[in-house]
Amino acid sequence: MPSGAISLDGLSVDFDGRFELVDITWTINPGEHWLIVGANGSGKSALAAVLAGEGSSISGTISGVPERVCLVSYERQAELIEAERRKDDADILDVISEGTPAAEIIADASHDHDLAQELVDSLGLRPLMGRAFRKLSTGETRKVMLIRALTRNPELLVLDAPFDGLDNKSLGWLQAHLAQLAATVPMVLVLNRFDECPDFITHVAYIDDGRLLETVARDDARAMAELGKLLHLQTTDLEVPAADPSAELPPLDPGEPLVCLTGATIRYQDNTVFENLDWTIEPNQHWQLSGPNGSGKTSLLALITGDHPQCYVNDIKVFGFQRGSGESIWQIKQYMGYVSTALQWEYRVGTGLRNVIISGFFDSIGLYSKSTDVQKALADEWLALLGMSHRADEPFNSLSHGDQRLVLIARAMVKHPPLLILDEPCLGLDDINRQLVLALIERICASGKTAVLYVNHRPQDRIPGIEEHLQLDA
Amino acid sequence: MANYFNTLPLREQLAELGKCRFMHLDEFEDGVEALKGKKMVVIGCGAQGLNQGLNLRDSGLDVSYTLRAAAIEEKRQSWKNATENGFTVGTYEELLPTADVVLNLTPDKQHTNVVETVMPMMKEGACLSYSHGFNIVEEGMQVRDDITVIMVAPKCPGSEVRAEYVRGFGVPTLIAVHEDNDPNGEGLALAKAYAVGTGGHKAGVLMSSFIAEVKSDLMGEQTILCGMLQTGSLLCFDKMVEEGVDPAYASKLIQYGWETVTEALKYGGVTNMMDRLSNPAKIRAFDLSEQMKDIMRPLYRKHQDDIMTGRFSETMMADWANDDAELLGWRADTAETPFEKTPAGDMEIAEQEYFDNGILMVAMVKAGVELAFETMTAAGIIADSAYYESLHETPLIANTIARKKLYEMNATISDTAEYGCYLYNHACVPLLADFMKPIKSDVIGKGLELDDTGVDNARLIEVNEAIRSHPVEAIGAELRGYMADMKRIV
Repeated sequence: MPSGAISLDGLSVDFDGRFELVDITWTINPGEHWLIVGANGSGKSALAAVLAGEGSSISGTISGVPERVCLVSYERQAELIEAERRKDDADILDVISEGTPAAEIIADASHDHDLAQELVDSLGLRPLMGRAFRKLSTGETRKVMLIRALTRNPELLVLDAPFDGLDNKSLGWLQAHLAQLAATVPMVLVLNRFDECPDFITHVAYIDDGRLLETVARDDARAMAELGKLLHLQTTDLEVPAADPSAELPPLDPGEPLVCLTGATIRYQDNTVFENLDWTIEPNQHWQLSGPNGSGKTSLLALITGDHPQCYVNDIKVFGFQRGSGESIWQIKQYMGYVSTALQWEYRVGTGLRNVIISGFFDSIGLYSKSTDVQKALADEWLALLGMSHRADEPFNSLSHGDQRLVLIARAMVKHPPLLILDEPCLGLDDINRQLVLALIERICASGKTAVLYVNHRPQDRIPGIEEHLQLDA
Repeated sequence: MANYFNTLPLREQLAELGKCRFMHLDEFEDGVEALKGKKMVVIGCGAQGLNQGLNLRDSGLDVSYTLRAAAIEEKRQSWKNATENGFTVGTYEELLPTADVVLNLTPDKQHTNVVETVMPMMKEGACLSYSHGFNIVEEGMQVRDDITVIMVAPKCPGSEVRAEYVRGFGVPTLIAVHEDNDPNGEGLALAKAYAVGTGGHKAGVLMSSFIAEVKSDLMGEQTILCGMLQTGSLLCFDKMVEEGVDPAYASKLIQYGWETVTEALKYGGVTNMMDRLSNPAKIRAFDLSEQMKDIMRPLYRKHQDDIMTGRFSETMMADWANDDAELLGWRADTAETPFEKTPAGDMEIAEQEYFDNGILMVAMVKAGVELAFETMTAAGIIADSAYYESLHETPLIANTIARKKLYEMNATISDTAEYGCYLYNHACVPLLADFMKPIKSDVIGKGLELDDTGVDNARLIEVNEAIRSHPVEAIGAELRGYMADMKRIV
């Protein structure tokens, strides 16, 4: 650790039992300026607050934090307003209290009064200086908080969502001021919007569920782009697009299981993969299937999807069809969405992304059927959800591995099948892309009437909402 | 047995040769209905047999496999193929008497033997299907009057028949009904349902005749498809080595070059393939191909004539009777050629470089495609058939060479194709010897490397006009248009 670095090592911190940061290991070296990003509730404000000494440490260490750390955050703002309000209640005299004027609030905290006056003018607060702090608007109190922090000669400036609620003029001024300050003061920013990231930021930390999952150097363009997509997926207000109302699937008997295997066996001449396996998947039931390599997970799925030829010699009923009774494979596939690495390998086409998603309506690899305007519009909604709207016509095979996976999941879901099968959907993906895929699946699980069958052997890739579990042994 | 084609009067010969029609998707609206609930029994569990069976079963049809008792007892590969895929397997005696449709998917060479064996066991009014018309047309097999005889011939290797089906598509397929054996008038309905069952209807179905299929298929496979690519591979490799090109590079340029240049052919015909060359290179390729066409024209005509008269099949069947002595000897020779023995290098060759450094290969493809098409249509074969059996299929063989080079390509293709390839190669290598003498590495191996890439306007217009106005381009544009209508978005 270089001297002057701030270092968190295995640090876990409790915030009044409401939130916990878990096992954070992080180093801020001199000369670095960090941006912390994450979804709402991921813990990014908590991580920022820890640098200002908040929370109670459970385990691990934090060191190298300078003496004057100035934090601006909603929490601090709320605390100050709350303190002002209490002062008011505490007034035992029968006098109407206006509360502390803004000018005083600033003067109390400032070390550099000339600078404070300059900032007051620059941020357009001059006419409000005489008014009570707690009577100011949210944006105005935020400006006061910023001035307090900026004029304390900070050795570390921690700004949590500093740009929120600022008018354009103030925003421009603040950004310019911070850029200037960056030469002398290390900064840690928390932003909800990735595209507001100032140029001086050198590193980005990604936090989810109280864990620091990723740190990315700004000049790693690829990782930055992926992080951007991940944040989009976690923070966008867009919903999972609806099904195509004009192409409803023939209805299934709601009382019947989606899948019913009885005594399922896969056997080759000299090798039995598994035998006598019974398994029933009910509508809307989410399953995780796990087992070591070679335990037959993929073969078992293939019995359900109809891709394993021995599905015809087993007692299998899927979506009401007894296999081998004269049904066609396309009658089965219409009720399923399917994603796997093997599918991705098979899907070597130069087709544009929109068409890849539309192909999900036809269960085809490539698109060979005419599509309707409704289908095109739904595909575009999916692309918007994935943050790929501008790439609708890019050839699929030019996409990164992780982006291909996302598009294939959208393809599998576009028709809202009663059963979505995800065979190791995170396989071969790096951490950010794994997060991306899991975030998308989580949105899907929460979105409606699709039973999810999730195959994975990585215990850390959990998906909230999956309760049933089938374990295959080697 | 007499050659069936030769028993027909000229009028009927011409009428049969002229049959070929691209069917519209709405002609397949009945789906697999005509075969629903019928018992389909496949003879032969090789690549076509197995993969067609997998598709038909996935389309909801009842498929089982019949093998000779010995193959079952000894658990031969065909038995393993069928049983591991969950099919019912039985002897001829067990399965054939109850079969509604018998699918003969054995190699041509075995057809006479197989059909003579199974015919007596087939029930009254059943259907016998072929995927090649050789046995009926060239060998004159007489099938029992009550049996319906149809042909369903996917125009791709078995593995692709399956792969395309799984993707939700299919491969272009030719269907035909043997007019002499359609007692109930149900042949066409059965053939259409079969094509739907294999997914072929999605990629385009050609309604043809047994005769048109045989006479055009034989011609295409032995000249441009296998013969020209084999001959061209050997000549181009030897020339490059002679010219000092790194043999590993030469080997790679050829092995993958055919596939790359014919990919351009597949998308936009000869015109597009030629347009991939620079202007000076295009004019060179054009001139070379014109020279080769003049030299090879008599050879193409001889092949077509021998096919029409039945002389080709007689010669081949004589070799079959002689345990394939000629063919196997030649096959072994192929394995010993310098091209075959030189592995492709691991250098990168950019897609465009295959064109720029393979001008002679482009010229050979153009000459072969155009000559095969011209010769077939001059012999009475309709342009649609001639297009499919020349230009359309060339990329398939090129793809096989890219994967397996020549020896394995020959082992993979049909008996008839390999024998025809052998005859062609034998004749064409010496025929092009004088033409090859002055060839330098500028047209094969290194590229033109010109400082000035200017060309004469009038000459360029003349060459473009000649390329674009060839009859194979007109029919090609039309048929590729239909294929695009099938909405394959690639």
